Amino acid sequence: MEPLSETQVIQNLRQTEDPSAQYYAAWWLGKMRSQHPDAIPLLLRALEALDATPIDPEQRGVALNAIRALGLLRDMRAEQPLLALLHSNDYTVREEVVRTLGAMGSCGAVEGIRALLASGLEGAGAEQPSSPLLNEPCEALLEALGDIGDGSSSNLAVIHPFTEHPRPLIRSAACRALLQLTGLDQWGMELKKLLNHPEPLVRRGALLDLGATGWLAAMPSIRTAAVEPSLKLVALREVAERNVDPNDVLDAMDGLL
Amino acid sequence: MTNTALDQALQTLERATSTPELVKATQALCALNDLEAAKPLVKVLGFNNPAVAAVATQGLIQLGRDTIPILLVSLDARNYGARAWVVKVIAALRDPRGLDLLEHALEADIAPSVRRSATRGLADLELSEDAAHDQLVRCFEGLLKAVRDDEWVVRYAAAYGLEQRLNSAAVSAHLAEQGRAALNQLASDAEGVRVVQLRALKALQRLNAG
Repeated sequence: MEPLSETQVIQNLRQTEDPSAQYYAAWWLGKMRSQHPDAIPLLLRALEALDATPIDPEQRGVALNAIRALGLLRDMRAEQPLLALLHSNDYTVREEVVRTLGAMGSCGAVEGIRALLASGLEGAGAEQPSSPLLNEPCEALLEALGDIGDGSSSNLAVIHPFTEHPRPLIRSAACRALLQLTGLDQWGMELKKLLNHPEPLVRRGALLDLGATGWLAAMPSIRTAAVEPSLKLVALREVAERNVDPNDVLDAMDGLL
Repeated sequence: MTNTALDQALQTLERATSTPELVKATQALCALNDLEAAKPLVKVLGFNNPAVAAVATQGLIQLGRDTIPILLVSLDARNYGARAWVVKVIAALRDPRGLDLLEHALEADIAPSVRRSATRGLADLELSEDAAHDQLVRCFEGLLKAVRDDEWVVRYAAAYGLEQRLNSAAVSAHLAEQGRAALNQLASDAEGVRVVQLRALKALQRLNAG
């Protein structure tokens, strides 16, 4: 099969007859970091489907892929439309929007994210009835606050309770954000403890969270953790790219190939 | 070495359920240092449990190159995690009999972790005395393919591998030129991933200093 050209992909997203072609096109534009002038306007157009009542399930899928693509393209023209979607009543839409705003480093999103977390462990962090989901996408919200990088005291205060959340991956996300925002080793030590958790899923999450902070002192623990080498390489890549002298990190990566 | 020791170790492994039990049973199997343990150790690589797989990998590497014929026929088509570990063992043993398999894994495997381990293998493989030149050319060609891989981690491994191979005195001027050009490309802005650039720059710096 011939690979699609960018022009064809743009055309596939523009047409509205075939939602599966739109779905793939939205994904492609992000994956390939498309610079096509029509990419952002068309991805933003795809978000409009989320305003309809009822929402068409296929168009919702296209919109979710568009949100993810916008997170990879990081174009600030998307900020306002995405901020409006922070209030969507669709959990998955809120989750993807928050991830994208976090990746964009959107300072405008801080207040909205904080508001979603403000009800703390009893509200945002409580489980939905008969569902594995929490009331809010806490992991994504905490990670976004850390990535955006605003270490104001009101942000720290809203993150702090989540370091005591019953779910280890939520604790991990909270520690990651606090380490990013304060640089205090104590949060790194908490993440290192989670690297020894009996559940492989928790160890993997904590490993990637440690990597995302770029905390150089994490390197020995990342190397020896009981996690697949491929994930360790992803985490160490983050550490290497966030430090001025990455020589030792590169040596550690060579040893894991 | 009696068969009972092996049978006992296999039974313990069979009964193990938790990760600590599996690790202990796998360690016991490795400690036998028995080639008969190679097949069950390969099976352990397919459990999708990194703690246990790491122990089994070390055990297989310890068994040495006698395991190569067993490893060459043990690639699990449905489990890319297990394939990555097997390719890793073959790469670590650096046995030239692994060359065909490493080339094929790099060329055709859909899993980046398998292609990464294969690239590492092509970087470090020992060459047979009677076919050294031919094998070196094949390793180089593999590494130059890895430079064009879609996944950053494979390109990273290619930068590592080109540095290893360019360090050897046996490299012809033509191959050396191609290898340097590939490293220059990975070090340039044409490469979109920072850590790959960093690794290629480091390779060029050390090659130029040496």
